[in-house]
Amino acid sequence: MARKGAAATSKPKASSSKKNVEKALKIVQRTEESSEDEDELNLEDNEEISEDEDEEEGVDQEGMTKLMAALGEDGLDEFAQAELRALTGDEDEGSDDEDPEEEADESGDEEEEEEEVEVEEVDASEDEEGVEDEEEEEEEEDVPLDEVEDVEEDVVPRQKIEIDNKIALERIRETIKLDPSMPWTETLTLTYPETIDVDVDDDLNRELAFYKQALHSANAAKALAAKQNFPFTRPSDYFAEMVKSDAHMERIRQRLLDESATIKRSEDKRKEREGKKFGKQVQMEKLKERERSKKDMEERIKGLKRKRKGALDNAQEDGEGFDVAVEDAISDRPSKRGRSDGPGGKRGLSRQARDGKYGYGGPGKRAKQNTKDSTDEFVGRGSGGRGGRGGRGGRGGQRGGGRGGQRGGASKRLGKSKRVTARSRT
Amino acid sequence: MASVLKAQKKNKSVKDAKGKRKADAMDIDDEEGPSLKRLKNKQRVLMLSSRGVTHRMRHLMNDLEALLPHVKKDSKLDSKNHLSLLPELADLNNCNNALYFEARRHEDLYMWAAKTPNGPSIKMHVQNIHTMDELKMTGNCLKGSRGLLSFDKGFDETEWGKLTKEVFTHIFGVPQTARKAKPFIDHILTFSILDDKIWFRNFQIIEKDPLQPNGPPQTSLVEIGPRFVLTPIRIFEGAFNGATVYSNPEFVSPAAVRSALNREKGDKYGQRKHAEYERAERGAARKLDEDQLAVPKVFS
Repeated sequence: MARKGAAATSKPKASSSKKNVEKALKIVQRTEESSEDEDELNLEDNEEISEDEDEEEGVDQEGMTKLMAALGEDGLDEFAQAELRALTGDEDEGSDDEDPEEEADESGDEEEEEEEVEVEEVDASEDEEGVEDEEEEEEEEDVPLDEVEDVEEDVVPRQKIEIDNKIALERIRETIKLDPSMPWTETLTLTYPETIDVDVDDDLNRELAFYKQALHSANAAKALAAKQNFPFTRPSDYFAEMVKSDAHMERIRQRLLDESATIKRSEDKRKEREGKKFGKQVQMEKLKERERSKKDMEERIKGLKRKRKGALDNAQEDGEGFDVAVEDAISDRPSKRGRSDGPGGKRGLSRQARDGKYGYGGPGKRAKQNTKDSTDEFVGRGSGGRGGRGGRGGRGGQRGGGRGGQRGGASKRLGKSKRVTARSRT
Repeated sequence: MASVLKAQKKNKSVKDAKGKRKADAMDIDDEEGPSLKRLKNKQRVLMLSSRGVTHRMRHLMNDLEALLPHVKKDSKLDSKNHLSLLPELADLNNCNNALYFEARRHEDLYMWAAKTPNGPSIKMHVQNIHTMDELKMTGNCLKGSRGLLSFDKGFDETEWGKLTKEVFTHIFGVPQTARKAKPFIDHILTFSILDDKIWFRNFQIIEKDPLQPNGPPQTSLVEIGPRFVLTPIRIFEGAFNGATVYSNPEFVSPAAVRSALNREKGDKYGQRKHAEYERAERGAARKLDEDQLAVPKVFS
């Protein structure tokens, strides 16, 4: 090992190359062997490890053989068996070329010497080769440099030769140029003083730019024509063949109409759709409203019923009042009756008028008191307080009649005709 | 004999004109214009196509013929290689300009605009053709009315632009003396340079608002068609021959574009296939060796 180290120090390059060679050898050998052999190789490695252990710890070889027996012989071929034998037998004979490094470690110095010699030879040869390689590489580098240019010419798209012979162009233009003194009406050429500078892919703006150019030129031409007394506008009575035939123009017109019709139709459709959506909403609202009102009504009636619960026992007698109350509840104006004849009622009558109508001052309380005559009288007593009183009371009778209806609710209200006759009788 | 006489007269007039110009009397020229022969813009254009034009290209040619009364249309040129025939043809038709539409592969259209017999000639690639027949172009104009020519400022910024403008002025500008020309102006041809291309549009000039026929005149435009885009390729010194005096470095031939597209597609396929192959290889290389102590081996 020391020698090897010395060799390594003396020839570092050689050693490194030697290592390479060793590796290469190993690789070559490995590649030469079949996959099965590789298996064996690994096995062998394992055995070598165990062998090391042998040397160090003194594990008996019998165990090894046992193990091998347990593994079975079918996995091992002759070579492996031979190796096994060698392992189990004498270790010195195990001179396999399989693993040079490990072998070198294990085997004696002589073999190592031999191997080193070999390696050195190989090194030398390889060095030469390496030199040659380098030369070749240089040559290769040289050649590609030459070739690169060729290749570039092939790879890069042929540069187009830009020819712009301005002098020649100008000369040619001079030769064909129309006489500058020629009036404008001969050529009708105009120059737009701006360059078109828009995005090419933006169709709308591009066409707009062209349109602007044309419009500007048209206006300029019109001015020029007016200046030179040149007929520009076609009179309305000048008819002549057109570029596009009438039939074609008709088709164009038809198409325009169709287009507008489609637009209109789609718009109508859209409106209808929206209307439908809105109509639905309206319908929903209506339904909700109906439901709400129904609920409201029920509640009102319920409340009324509760209020009248005490009076329900004599429902027959109280029927009229209940009906009125219900009507009031339904009609949403519960205080109608009270308001109608109350002083705060919305009558357009002034205080005086009301006083004139209903009476103020006058007989007062005494009017209702019984007099001597009334005590004796029996007329109308049985027919109800209202009639009797009304007959007596004149103005005050009206009021009293109204109150009487509420207070003395025991009697039913008469029909209209009867009421009228009763009034007329008094 | 007559021709000789004509030639002599012409020479004389030219000499006269030269004398005038030497005298530097523009005003005089104008004053004496009516007495003298006024300067006239005499242009006639021979228009023809190669074989193999599609319907769209043919319709474009028809449109141009309808718009330009000074155009003489000729039958298709049989050969694509002998363009030197064209000056002769133009001469035979008394034309001093030629507009030649060359169709290639039944899909690419090239337009040659040339001054014959001495050149120059401009070769352009025509794209985005829309003809007058399209129903979206709602304008109309008198057949044979002289159209205004509007060039944008871009033409005056480059030398080739100036030359192109001059040639287009000759070819697309209808001379006053053209036989079928009508005396009023109701449309305008616009040429605009955008993105190194020449965009052609044709608008009708409407001077009265159709919604307010009695209102003040308000100029508006409606497109008549056709419309197309020209990419200049080369300018030659002669008529369909001669040295190149301008070449557009930006121009990529449509065939190259198509092939590039195809190649891209092919590249994609190739890359996919390569990736598939490599993946298979990797899979094979990374396959682990069967362990000699694998379960089925140990407990066989």
